[in-house]
This record gives sequence, C-alpha cells and structure tokens, in this order.
Amino acid sequence: MLGLILNEAEEAMSPGIGVPGRAWTSAALLIAATGGLALGVSLLFGNTGINIATLVLLQIAAVLALATFSGNSGIVSFGHSAFMGIGAYVSGVLTMAKGVQATALPQLPLWLQAHELSLVSVIIVTAIVGLAVGILSGFPLARLSTGSAAIGTLAFLIIIHVVLIGAREVTRGSQTFYGVPRLTTVYAAFALAAAFIVIARVLRDTPLGLKLRAARENEVAAAATGVNVRRVRHAGWAISITMAVVAGALYGHFLGAFSPKDFYFDLTFTLVSMLIVGGMLTVTGAVAGTILLAAVVQVLRQAETGIDLGAFTLPGVFGLPQLGMGLALLLTIWRRPLGLAGLHEAGPDWPRSKMAPAVPARRQQEEGGALEVRNVTMRFGGLVALDDISFTVPTGQVTGLIGPNGAGKTTLINIICGQVRPTTGNVIISGREMTGQPPHRIAAAGLGRTFQNIRLFDRMTALENVAVAAMAKGHSPAMARALALSQLQRLGLAPRAGELASSFAYGDRRRLEIARALALEPRFLLLDEPAAGMNPAETDELIRILEAIRADHAIGLLVVEHDMRLIMRLSDRMVVLNKGQKIAEGTPDQIRSDPKVIEAYIGSRRASH
Amino acid sequence: MDLVLQQIVNAVSLGGIYALLALGLAVVFSIVSLINFAHGELMTVAGYGMFFALAVSLPFPLALLLAVSVAVIAALLTERFAFRPMRKADVTGLLLTSFAVSAILRVIFQNGISARPKPVPLPAGLTGVVEIGSLHIGIVPLLSIVTAALSLALLLLFLKHTTLGKAMRAAAEDFEVLRLMGIKANRVIAMAFAVSGVLAGIAAVLWIAQRGSVDPLMGFVPVLKAFVAAVIGGLGSLSGAVAGGFALGILEVLFQAFLPDAALPYRDAFVLSFVILILVWRPDGLIPAPVSRRS
Repeated sequence: MLGLILNEAEEAMSPGIGVPGRAWTSAALLIAATGGLALGVSLLFGNTGINIATLVLLQIAAVLALATFSGNSGIVSFGHSAFMGIGAYVSGVLTMAKGVQATALPQLPLWLQAHELSLVSVIIVTAIVGLAVGILSGFPLARLSTGSAAIGTLAFLIIIHVVLIGAREVTRGSQTFYGVPRLTTVYAAFALAAAFIVIARVLRDTPLGLKLRAARENEVAAAATGVNVRRVRHAGWAISITMAVVAGALYGHFLGAFSPKDFYFDLTFTLVSMLIVGGMLTVTGAVAGTILLAAVVQVLRQAETGIDLGAFTLPGVFGLPQLGMGLALLLTIWRRPLGLAGLHEAGPDWPRSKMAPAVPARRQQEEGGALEVRNVTMRFGGLVALDDISFTVPTGQVTGLIGPNGAGKTTLINIICGQVRPTTGNVIISGREMTGQPPHRIAAAGLGRTFQNIRLFDRMTALENVAVAAMAKGHSPAMARALALSQLQRLGLAPRAGELASSFAYGDRRRLEIARALALEPRFLLLDEPAAGMNPAETDELIRILEAIRADHAIGLLVVEHDMRLIMRLSDRMVVLNKGQKIAEGTPDQIRSDPKVIEAYIGSRRASH
Repeated sequence: MDLVLQQIVNAVSLGGIYALLALGLAVVFSIVSLINFAHGELMTVAGYGMFFALAVSLPFPLALLLAVSVAVIAALLTERFAFRPMRKADVTGLLLTSFAVSAILRVIFQNGISARPKPVPLPAGLTGVVEIGSLHIGIVPLLSIVTAALSLALLLLFLKHTTLGKAMRAAAEDFEVLRLMGIKANRVIAMAFAVSGVLAGIAAVLWIAQRGSVDPLMGFVPVLKAFVAAVIGGLGSLSGAVAGGFALGILEVLFQAFLPDAALPYRDAFVLSFVILILVWRPDGLIPAPVSRRS
C-alpha cells in the first residue's frame, strides 16, 4: 500500500513527463485566486479579516482532503471531519506547553508529556499518524461496495467521536480541550491550502487518480480494464485521510480550544455542503464551493443575532448559517447536480497541438497461446446453466460463440471474465490457470472485453477512457497517453480525444470501448454482442474494424453475437451453445449445415412442416 | 438465568424500535433510492404533535393518533416539495437532499417552537413495572415489544394483501416495469412516504415514552440507529431492515451487558466496529435487496 502511494508521488513529481502540464497550470491558477482573495479580505477587514481568511483557507484544505477521496472515487465520506479531530487532538497534545499540560491534562500518559513540538515538526508527526490511520481504516473500507462504503465512513465518524470522548486522559472527554498554542498563522494556512491544491489537482491526473475516477464511473468496466478497484480506493483513502489529519492539526492550532463535537456532524455537513455546492468532480469546484459557502455563512452569522435597519431591527434567527447551507445544498442538487464547476477545471483546455504524439501500437510480441475453457459446468441450485463446456480460442483467429436466448452465453462470459466462479471446470489463459481470479487479474493476464450494454467511463474524456487501460498495463502516464491516442486514431476517434465519452453517439461509443479494450494490449479480446443495436451500415463498418484488428494484432477474438451475417463473415471457427450444452463446433460452413444447429435455431418451423 | 432473560427482553424491545425505524427508511429506499435522513425529523414532528395534543388536554389515545397523523402529513409534504423535484438525482444527491431537509427542519423547530426540550408526560399507568415470575419488566419495554410486533404484522398484511401494498413490493423489485404496467408512480411513492411516516410516528411514541420529552434534535440519534440497522440488514430490503434492527438491538444490549466497566464508554465504538465487520463479511447486508441486474 505504502509502495503504491510512494510510486504515485514519484510519478506526479515529473511535470510534463508524468502528469500533463495543464494540471500544474490549473493548480497555479487556483492558488493565485485563493491567495488573492485571502489577501483582499485581510486588507479590507484588518484583524477580523485575517481571522476569516485563515479559517477559509483551512476549510479549503479540509474540503480538498475530502475531495481527494470523494471527488475521485464518487464515495461521499462523512467521516473526514472526525479524522480532522484526530489530527487536532494528537498535534495539540504534542505542542502544548508543559505547564499548561500539567493543569489541563493531569493524567496524560508519560510518553505523551512535554514534547512542545514546533508547528513544522508536529505537521510531520501528524502526517505519519494520518497515513497510518488512513491505511488501517482503509482495509475494511476498500472492501465495501460503493453504497456500503459511504455508510462505513459514517460509522468511522461515530466511532472516532465516541473514542475521543472516551479517552479522557488525553482528550479531556467531552469537556473543552484548551491550551493549544495558536500557531496557525494566515501564512501557514495559505501554505497548507496551496500544497493541498497542488496535491489534489495533480493526483487527479496521475494513474491513481484516473483509475479511481474510472472505478467511480463504472466499477465493472474499470475492473475489466485491469483496475484493481479495492487497491486504488485504499490508496486514495489513505492519502485523503492523511490530508484530513494534517488539516485537522492546523485547524486545532487555529482554534486553540475545542471539543469532540467540533469535529462531528456539523463539520461534516459544512464540508460536504461546500464540496457538493462547488462540484465534487473537480478541484476547482471544491475550492470555489468552499469560498462561496464560507462567504454565505459569514454574512448569515452576522444576521443570526438580528439586523439593525435603523428604525427597526429584524429579529435574529438562530441557526441561520445552517439554514443557508441547507438551502444552498438543495438549490445545487436541484438545479446544478454537478455543482458550480461541473466538469470543468480552471485553466487551459487541452490544446490539440500539445497532445503527446501518437506512437504506433505495439504488436503483441508473444505469439501463440490460447484461451481455453475446460469442462466448465455451472449450476444454480438445481438448474444446470452450463454443462461440461470445453473449447479453445487460439490467437490470430476469430472464434464465434452463438446460441439462442437462454443458451448460457452470458453465464459463460461471466465465468471467463472472472465475475462468477464456475461450479466445476477451468479457464486457462495462455497456459495460466485463471479460474475464479477477480476480473482485474484476468484483464491483466491478457483478456480485454467489451460489454453488451456498453460500459464507458462517461464523465471522462475519450483519451482518459483509453489511457486508463494502458496505465493498468503498467505504462508510464506519458506513454499511456501516446498509446491511447494511437488506439483512438486506429478507430477514427482521435479528433475527439478530448471530448467526454458521454457526448459520443452509439456507434462511436462501441468503437471507443473497443479502443479501450485494445489499449490493454490483450492477447484475447472478448466482444459481447458488438453489433447489437447497429444498422447494416454500422455493422459493415464494425466488420471492417474487426478485420483490421485481426490483421494488425496477433490476438484471438471471441465474438458473441446474434447477428448471423456478421458472425458467419468474421469467424474462422464457431462454437454453438444451446440450453447450456455445446451442440456444435467447426467452421462457419460446417455450422451452417449442421442439423443440430438448424434445429436449435429454427427447430419449431421444421417440426411444423 | 433471570439476568439472561432480562437482557433478552431488553434486546427484543430495543431491537423492535430499531426495526420500526429501519423499516421506515427501507420502505422509502426500496422504491426511490433515498436514504431519508429527515426520517428523524418526522419523529420529532410526531413528538411535537403529541406535546401539543397533551398540552390542550386531549385524551391520550387521541394524542397518539394525532402524533402519527402529523408524521404522515410531514412525510407527504417533504416528499412533495423536497424529494419529488430531485427525483432525477443519484443516491448521494438524494441523501444530501435529505441532510439539507433535516437541517432546515431543525432550524425551523428551534426558532418556531423552542430549542429547549418540551415535556411529554405519560399517563401514570404506563410508567410501572410488571412482574412475571421473578422477572421485572417495565411496561414501556413491554408495550414496545407488543407495538413493534403489531406494527410489523400489520405492515406485512398491507404489503401482501392490498393492491397498493403489492404495487409497492413490485416497485421495490423493478420500478420501471411497474410503470409500464400502468401503475401511477407518484401514488406508489407517496404511499411509501406515508407508510414511513406511520412507522416514524409509532417509533416516536415509543422513543418518547422512554425519555419523556421532545426537542428539536431528538430525531438525530434514532435516525442514525435506523440507518445503521438498515445497512446491516441490506439497504432497501424490508425483511433485512427488520433483521438489521434486531441485530443492532441485540449487539447493543450484549456489549452493554458484557463489556468491562472501563470499556463501557466505548460501547458504541465496539458496536459500530462490529457493524463494519458485518459489512466486510457481507457488503450488501444480511438479507440483500433484490436487484435486477444484467451485464
């Protein structure tokens, strides 16, 4: 886990080569805007202004910590504020002056006493603590499905809250924890916000960020593209929690005195509202949302005690800031569900000229090998969905798999791709036993696939869609982009590389999915009803593309299709399933004249004649 | 032996309330994918309904009826004006909507009624203890068990034997198909909210019976419990919600009874860690909701 995170950091550190330069430009713009605003507020309102600026900068840092996980993974975390609490308490104990400690925390364990650390060293310590806490808490979290994971974060919020109250010797329980030196100056807050803007913005475009976003858009497709969803979620969570704990440390040294309830639901509600209102899919949105809602809250807080209008006073409304945030949240979800920023990051769009030059896709070096299905049987209770199926998909050939509805094709595909484990039997890819391996391992072993009902990463660009696959294969980001571009070129999609996948028309979506599968440099490519929903002209185009793929790559194609014209024209060999059994195997000509096949497809007509 | 029986009674009575709460969330979630955090505020509304009814000296049964009715009305109003406009939002969007609704309602209670707790006195007959053999059982926990069991049975009858109930069960399985069958979506959804309002109202009465007062933040703890219970059981699964409610009740009572004194302040941390373990073991809950899936 730590290795993955360090590797990520290393790749992010090489601007221009690793992460595209526009991520850095965009981060610089956001830092400049944030700094300018903070300076403006400080100059305009004097000491109060400096206070407000410091608070908002810390909030920006906290929201960015949240956005680093939630924005990229799509799992809203309700637990981050509690992790900030851990940072505040841990750092507070370590920086507290000896004398204060003796009165405030008389029962403090000896090893925690009298450290009196400086701000910089305490940040380093809390970052290490944060990373450890993040990695540990990530173990259960990464195993949960998307819905349960959000609940898991909520459980963390409550667990940490209870622990903070319970650990009286260190935290003074639910009483106020005081005596924390106010070391967080506006400069320190700005430095933190700036650092987090860079981390959050750059991480988005690293392999980790891309894989996380791919899993957010479509978990099944991400796994089939070679992404180990659990692992990337774990890494993303650990990084994000580290950021939250550090942000909490500085927040604690801004407040000076606090209690566990300062890191509970109210803070969660504030942070989540800021993120959602701004837009959780972008770093720009996170920053903009924080600034906007912080401004609204400031104004409403003034009004909370009543507004003096000269002749008469408007009565105060208790809880006005909460009311304002609630309404802002409702308005956002109602009118702009993606938040203010939507999908747009501040900064330059990707200029076509700056895009990495395409490199010709490499031919698969190793030839030969086969995808073997051996004696696969699948039973669901008493129902036998597949009965002792065996066949081989050799490389360099097209194998067609056909069968009427209910023949067991989908079950077989799910078994081959690792979504379901067969009752008995084996799936072997190039000599390696792959039965029961998870989908991302099978993808890595050399099986790319497309889906019957097209699964793309909709809110990512075409280039990003394809680059994820190349990165999962282990290519550096720059190389992955170049390879992705060449796949897009091959399928005629290169001019639209920078557009979102969701904006593509049906036929183009199919082609994009094929490009993504090819970027895995697979030895075998499984196409699940590639011609479904296509008109004859589109089908002809598809046949042309598939024939080109077969000519260019020495890969084995397994095509599952209802369209007889396509499959007869394309296949070298065919396998026919009916009612869970293999009833025929052979060349298209043999299949065409096989009486069992004819009976399975048009049996009833023969019977009636 | 007595202690064990006593704890079983406690677990069942607590679990029954949690089951009602979780069921209230599950009924709505199964149909519109909304985890309604404002469910707690429906309880608070019911509590205030009871408070005002008793304040104008309405007889106790009438006050109960009123409490449940206002919860139903509140449920229908939030559905019509907050959740219906957001129906296109995803699960997270809907959850956050309910967060916002809940926050707004709390501010309204604080300013419109009072930030302080309002007493809701129970009739004297309900505060005693019954002795069964050597067992001392409070009337309130006993009534909780009976009420929870009755409510669950009635809900089951409603879902199994009325047209609307059947439509709701069908909607939970596949809403689109139901629409194609010509059932009016808005009616089914409104019905789901009404049922969740009834459940919130009943749960509120039982909740208040144990604490004797109502305040603007009252709904917060129960909705958390409901949420956790519904998740343990399997979000959107009705039988799962009941199972999850009882599981949570049993867990809490067990930890309360068997944790050493020093660890008691951490009881909820233990319970929730256990919940995380359950989820790791079964990510979709004990009794997962049926989903129509095709790859």
